[in-house]
Amino acid sequence: MLRLLYRSLFVLVPVLLIGSARADEAITNRGKAIFAKQCAKCHGKTGQGVPKRYEKPLSGNVSLRQLEELIADTMPEDNPDACIGADAKVVARYIHEAFYGKSAELPRIRLARLTGNQLRHSVADLYGRFMNLAKYTDQGGIHGEYYDANRPRKDKRKIERVDASINFDFQDKGPSQGEYADTGIKANEFAIQWSGGLKVDVTGTYEIIVRCSCSFVFDLGNFSRRFIDNHVQSGDKTEFRRSIVLTAGRVYPFRLMMYQRKRKTKQPPAWINVSWVPPHGTEQIIPKRNFRSNFNPPAFSLQTKLPPDDRSYGYERGIAVDRQWDDSTTAAAIEFAQIAIDELWPRFRQMNKGPNDNRQQLRRFLEEITVTAFRGPIDDVMRNLYVNGPIQACEDDADAIKRSVLMTLKSPRFLYPLLDHDRSPSQKVANRLALTLYDSLPAQQWLRGQARENHFDRESRIRVAATRMVADYRTRGKTREMLYAWLNLSHFDEITKDAERFPDFDKQLVGDMRASLDAFLDDVVWSDASDFRQLMTADWAYTNERLQKFYGAAWKPIDSTQGLQKTGKLPHRRGLLAHPYLMTGLAYADSTSPIHRGVFVIRYLLGRTLRPPQEAFTPLSPKLHPDLTTRERISLQTSPKSCQVCHTKINALGFTLENFDAVGRYRVKEKGRAVNTLGGYTDRSGKRTKIEGPDALSSYLATSDDAHRAFVERAFQHFVKQPPSAYGSDTLDKLIKKFKDQQFNIRNLIVDIAVVAASGPIENK
Amino acid sequence: MQSVTSRREFLINTGVSAAAANFLMNLPSLQAEETSRRKQRVIFVFSPNGVIPKHFWPDQTGKDFELKRILKPLSPFKDRMMTVHGVCNQIRGDGDGHMRGIGCLLTGIELFPGDIQGGSDTPAGWSKGISVDQYLKNQLQANKETQTRFGSLEFGVMVPERADTWTRMSYAGPNQPVAPIDDPYQMFDKLYGQAKNRELLASVLDDLASDFRRVEQKISAEDRQILKDHLAMVRQLEKELNTELSQKTDQTVTHAVPKLSPNVQEVNDNMPQITRMQMDMLVHSLAADFTRVATFQITNSVGQPRMRWLGINEGHHGLSHEPDSNEEAYEKLIKINTWYCEQVAYLAKRLAETPEPGGDGSLLDNTTIVWTNELGKGNSHTRNNIPFVLVGNGLGFEMGRALNFKRVPHNRLLMSFCEAMGHPVDSFGNPNFCKAGSLTGLS
Repeated sequence: MLRLLYRSLFVLVPVLLIGSARADEAITNRGKAIFAKQCAKCHGKTGQGVPKRYEKPLSGNVSLRQLEELIADTMPEDNPDACIGADAKVVARYIHEAFYGKSAELPRIRLARLTGNQLRHSVADLYGRFMNLAKYTDQGGIHGEYYDANRPRKDKRKIERVDASINFDFQDKGPSQGEYADTGIKANEFAIQWSGGLKVDVTGTYEIIVRCSCSFVFDLGNFSRRFIDNHVQSGDKTEFRRSIVLTAGRVYPFRLMMYQRKRKTKQPPAWINVSWVPPHGTEQIIPKRNFRSNFNPPAFSLQTKLPPDDRSYGYERGIAVDRQWDDSTTAAAIEFAQIAIDELWPRFRQMNKGPNDNRQQLRRFLEEITVTAFRGPIDDVMRNLYVNGPIQACEDDADAIKRSVLMTLKSPRFLYPLLDHDRSPSQKVANRLALTLYDSLPAQQWLRGQARENHFDRESRIRVAATRMVADYRTRGKTREMLYAWLNLSHFDEITKDAERFPDFDKQLVGDMRASLDAFLDDVVWSDASDFRQLMTADWAYTNERLQKFYGAAWKPIDSTQGLQKTGKLPHRRGLLAHPYLMTGLAYADSTSPIHRGVFVIRYLLGRTLRPPQEAFTPLSPKLHPDLTTRERISLQTSPKSCQVCHTKINALGFTLENFDAVGRYRVKEKGRAVNTLGGYTDRSGKRTKIEGPDALSSYLATSDDAHRAFVERAFQHFVKQPPSAYGSDTLDKLIKKFKDQQFNIRNLIVDIAVVAASGPIENK
Repeated sequence: MQSVTSRREFLINTGVSAAAANFLMNLPSLQAEETSRRKQRVIFVFSPNGVIPKHFWPDQTGKDFELKRILKPLSPFKDRMMTVHGVCNQIRGDGDGHMRGIGCLLTGIELFPGDIQGGSDTPAGWSKGISVDQYLKNQLQANKETQTRFGSLEFGVMVPERADTWTRMSYAGPNQPVAPIDDPYQMFDKLYGQAKNRELLASVLDDLASDFRRVEQKISAEDRQILKDHLAMVRQLEKELNTELSQKTDQTVTHAVPKLSPNVQEVNDNMPQITRMQMDMLVHSLAADFTRVATFQITNSVGQPRMRWLGINEGHHGLSHEPDSNEEAYEKLIKINTWYCEQVAYLAKRLAETPEPGGDGSLLDNTTIVWTNELGKGNSHTRNNIPFVLVGNGLGFEMGRALNFKRVPHNRLLMSFCEAMGHPVDSFGNPNFCKAGSLTGLS
């Protein structure tokens, strides 16, 4: 149904309010007149609403600018072209001044609780405070050590290398094969240790699957935390599965020890592979890009299920305070308390061997947790409440830790990160940098130290810190999520195609396409230039054998090594819009969908508003119109005047992409006729541009002011979770200008956003 | 024996709140319980490395028997106990004596081929079948009348942090060893964690509310609203928890949650204390009807505790290999086994002292402790004459006797346990050892 389709593509208008300027009387009068003539019949004389037409009063906190756009694009409902341009501007101003904005809140930074993601990251870093934090590297693969012994013994280590994945069939020959043939590991008795880290890009439940003919033990998260214990190889049991919630932007220490033990009985051949099913994904061997071969400190991932956050403004905000959420924070606190008892407290004692006869070490430990969780020093009242009280109340150390942690993590001082009126300016900066860039709290030594020493007294220092913090798994994880939100990828969950028409299209291919898109995004964003325009116009992509087989010779990897590799210059295909994943996702099972594609470009890439259609429509079936091209069929269905209001805009963009069929393959003909890709776009300023074909659209988007604005605004909202205007009415414009001045450098944009968030208006400063 | 006299207590025992109890009273499925069988419980206690038969087995059979040194601590229960001599673990196949000793003890079936190589014989993996405790659990859980919160509980004492054939006695099925919980605090959490967490939460909310008010004063009126809503929710939760908890105390006075000694480390020298803590929780779990089947595994097959509290510095397994001619070792082994017997006697005593909730008599009237071992004798590694000492009246056997079955496969005894618990079987484990049926002459 089209209506549903629209809804799924919709996200409510971001709320911002630009301070109302004083309108002069003439403008007001003109606006009033237009309102009376064109709007009052549905909205009432003073915007109070009209029964059976538009019943709700016209009030809210959409910005003047948004209101202008909304009116120009969609009003009056029966004839949206009747009020555009200057008319839309003056009537919007009138509405805003006279009644709409009266009840609206001034733009301000709203107090919000931690979102689910922020809670996850905050407890992960609270744990990291005692265990250190992972050091960033982009080198993939896992460290492999191969021993000519039944256990790891330094003097028996024969091979040391970085393996791309864990996927080996040694048969009955052992690891000394091929180029390692002369390493002399006995085939009937050996041990292999793979260690390093598992890097996670998406938060959610992962099923990890080890298939192995030998015994093995597998630690994840901490080398003392056994994830799968197959110390005993028994019978023909070779498959082991376990699920775990992992958090994006984190690296979990990984260690898998495989043993081929010498035995008196028949030796089974040795083989092993380690795969996973990522959230909403399909099973795959854990790829090189998700392994790290360096040392990674222990890490904690909250397993508690947290309720989804409010997304009514297009980005997550912690504004719902209800029982379900409250229960989840209790469960999270209890879960963290347990890991604190099991891992952090023993670790603290190991590092602090001083006397504990008066439980003074326990006191220090709990104070450290509280200070970190509360993002700054605590006073005596707090110390008595959160540290001394629990210790006095509980004879058992574990009980005291549990009580203190429960109180600390249930405290408003932890749950509301912006409750920082009693924090020093420097501490506030550190807190907001961590919140903006990591969704977390300051845990690393240097940042805590600089906060303590009142280092952040000028913008340049804040910028230096923010720049340093961008080179971090957490910021990269959050950036990836921002790009997903910008591209609305969460709505692409399951892509299936007509098996008869596209017999080679399967789940594995979809998985590869997604991985290819991810690699492309990472490559562009984290390259030196970090150029937004490259996202639109790059003439290469990431590929593997399967993608090459499906999309043709141009998709041949330039390097034949395993895993995803870059292609050479691709003909007919530029940037992410032409990427198979987007073109396939924005299509039906058996045909393209110019409507999906057009709505996607307008809404997400250009940041414009669209109303859902008045009624529900079922798309015309291609089968009923076997002679029509997709373009003709869509034009036919959307020809009624009421549809044309929006569909002139939607179709004109969607049609430009008709060179890509339902599985994203390039085509010049449909049903034996040349594909017509002529379209165009009218931007916010009213300028009309003719666009023909996907390349032209990509070039247009790379340079479009609307596209830049949409991207910068999305980034700001995602990172800060507040409206930009709360930091000054021209915040967005300034950021956009800077973005352009800096050659559309995305990394710099993120730094700029963090600087604004960290040094912007701070209440009670 | 009628085990439940009051429906209210029955429901409390099954963990239903008072409010729900009133509602459930009228449901037919729970009305029927008044006519049900008595509760029957069985506990399998394991201690390792065989015994010194000469100081373990009574010389006589029948009612008139004398307890030898090792079994002396059970004197107060002499008329409620039974020694079962002549039962042999005859399972062959892969695995060394200790592995098959523990892995086939409650399963009665061979081990899978595998890569765990013992001191002798071929390497092996896990057991090929379910163990009798888990089998009984499944049977009891399948029936509403005998269903309990956990179905079974697996206690351990100082079981090494190592999942292998020597450390696992209980199996949920082929290749599915069940790990015993040997950390009393972890067991406590499993049993009472949720209830304790709610108590804890209730007890901190007031303090938290005070800090909400402190924080609130410093912020703008607009922002205060979300905190006010939050605080109102905290207050509401506090009220609800207090109501819930006051009802609970009212109901469960008879078996209040046991209190564990604080800060007991899991180290060798704390073994006596940990054993007590675990046994106390086991008794409480039975009284609260959390389960009717339990295992209690002290260390593991080839266990190496150093019983310094008895003046013995050597590990148990090491000592058990010494020849009988080593008098010093021999004497120490008697002492070690006597200590294990004391633990069994303590458990029996606690059960005997605890009234059967809602019924007549004590828990021991409806519970049988089956104390067993992976070997008959340590230095010979024989699995003939596996120690089986039964205490208590859960299985309904005729107690106060010393029996000698003269070399029967232990599968038949496992079958007898099933039968006595109301779930007779045609075979248990490897059917080749079950042809003669369950043992006769026990009841």
